[in-house]
Amino acid sequence: MKQKILIVEDDPVIRSELMVLLEGNGYEVFAVTDFSNVMECVKSFQPHLILLDIKLPQESGFSLSSKIRAFSDVPIVFVTSCNTDMDELNSIMLGGDAFITKPYNTAILLAKIASLLKRAYPVRGNETLSYQGAVLHLDGGKIEYEGRQVDLTKNELKILCYLFRHAGTICARADIVEYLWDHKLYVDDNALSVNINRIREKLSGIGLTDFIKTKHRQGYVL
Amino acid sequence: MNGKLYWKQQLPSLLIHLLCMAGMATFLWVIGNHVDVIILILVAWIVILAVCLVISYYERSRQMKRLLMLAERLEERYLLSEVMEKPRRADDQVYYQLLKMAGKSMLEQIGEVRRERAEYKEYVEQWIHEIKTPITAMKLLCENHRFELTNELLVELEKTNRFTEQALYYARSEHTEKDYSVREIRLFDVVHQAIAENKYLLLQHKVRLELQETEDTVYSDEKWVCFILNQLIVNAIKYRTARPMLEIYVEHRENKNVLCVHDNGMGIEASDLPRIFEKGFTGKNGRKAAQNATGIGLYLCKRLCDKLDIGISADSVGNGDGTTIRLSFRMNDFIQRV
Repeated sequence: MKQKILIVEDDPVIRSELMVLLEGNGYEVFAVTDFSNVMECVKSFQPHLILLDIKLPQESGFSLSSKIRAFSDVPIVFVTSCNTDMDELNSIMLGGDAFITKPYNTAILLAKIASLLKRAYPVRGNETLSYQGAVLHLDGGKIEYEGRQVDLTKNELKILCYLFRHAGTICARADIVEYLWDHKLYVDDNALSVNINRIREKLSGIGLTDFIKTKHRQGYVL
Repeated sequence: MNGKLYWKQQLPSLLIHLLCMAGMATFLWVIGNHVDVIILILVAWIVILAVCLVISYYERSRQMKRLLMLAERLEERYLLSEVMEKPRRADDQVYYQLLKMAGKSMLEQIGEVRRERAEYKEYVEQWIHEIKTPITAMKLLCENHRFELTNELLVELEKTNRFTEQALYYARSEHTEKDYSVREIRLFDVVHQAIAENKYLLLQHKVRLELQETEDTVYSDEKWVCFILNQLIVNAIKYRTARPMLEIYVEHRENKNVLCVHDNGMGIEASDLPRIFEKGFTGKNGRKAAQNATGIGLYLCKRLCDKLDIGISADSVGNGDGTTIRLSFRMNDFIQRV
């Protein structure tokens, strides 16, 4: 089941682009457009997480947050351009779970949302990705194929993770590097080649040959 | 009080006294007094006059000295007229009144300027918060709809954001009131954040990053430290050489954690090194390599560091061997024990 996120943001462009971004990352999104009855939206939509702007046309995010807290423990992320300490303090006091300042890095925003959701709604069992019989264990850092498995380093795991998520499409080298940077792995172009070669060696060790194909001048594809 | 000048000013009254003495002596002599009597009267006159003059001189001189001392001890000297006692002499009272008037108009002016500055600062902060909404919207638009110019645009957006941040922190650094909150922060969390804020710029220039990550924590303000790191990263890129590399690591000194940012750029010449934290100083490199060197970045870093009690120092061997900037965070024994 998709997890539901409610967006309370008054700037129409940011609102719609946030929807695009979050929907693209597999969430079900609802955006509030009528700020006079935000409470109704919260009650009817039953979100798993709320992105809340502080400066809103009718009622400030702070007062909304304390109202929501009266009946729900849903994680609330404050998203704002006012990065003063008072605001940050207020947001924590009034039940906010995270505080992100504009202009936010989308990678950081997504990571924060994911970690909050994981904490609030723990998923049982290991998270895995699979493609053509190969299974990637995200928590264990292993890849498995026909009963045989091999350990992966952090870099290798993230690279494979990106390739698995975009299986069947060509992944540009620059995009992979950017994805790695978003996960605090500062790998440059040369190091990426080295890592890919090492992954190929490991994969052929468990019987997966030619799993990652190189598209000349474009990138890699599973 | 200038003694010579004081006595010079007493000269006319002394002359009158002298004339009177001469007139009286002549008169007494003409009406047939004995010379001894006249001399006695004159001596008595002179003695009384001298005593009076000397006493009034010392009195006056003491009074003036007291006023000078008072002014010297006063931090805001323009408030002198409020503190001094009201003089007794008629002409002094006029001066006193003038001083009061001058002080009052001065206070009004200062109040006005202060209020205007505070209003301006408020406006600048508000403006910066407002400009962030369109920056955020543009950034999201770019990231959601990629096309061939996206990365260039994102680099420019990062730059825009950096300049607005610079204005914000400049406004904040000018004011003495507290705009920061000190808490325990993990140094490398801030490093990651600063890198994320300059991701596209770093990727564009293919900067190799070498992080020796540790779990060290310090007590400081996260946002300010992040801003300082931002400036350092941008400088490293501005003064880069062919294969830019950035090393970030922590050195442990006696009750200090030192965050070091080392680049392999063109370095700073020894003659420029002592002045790089001065406002408006651009140095040889600034003029040579980067036309847009403003001399604000490091100056601002230094100011913020001073407020947060972070030591900042630069080290460079000279041409081509790169620069190391060290931020040293004091470890507070007291906080650690708690």
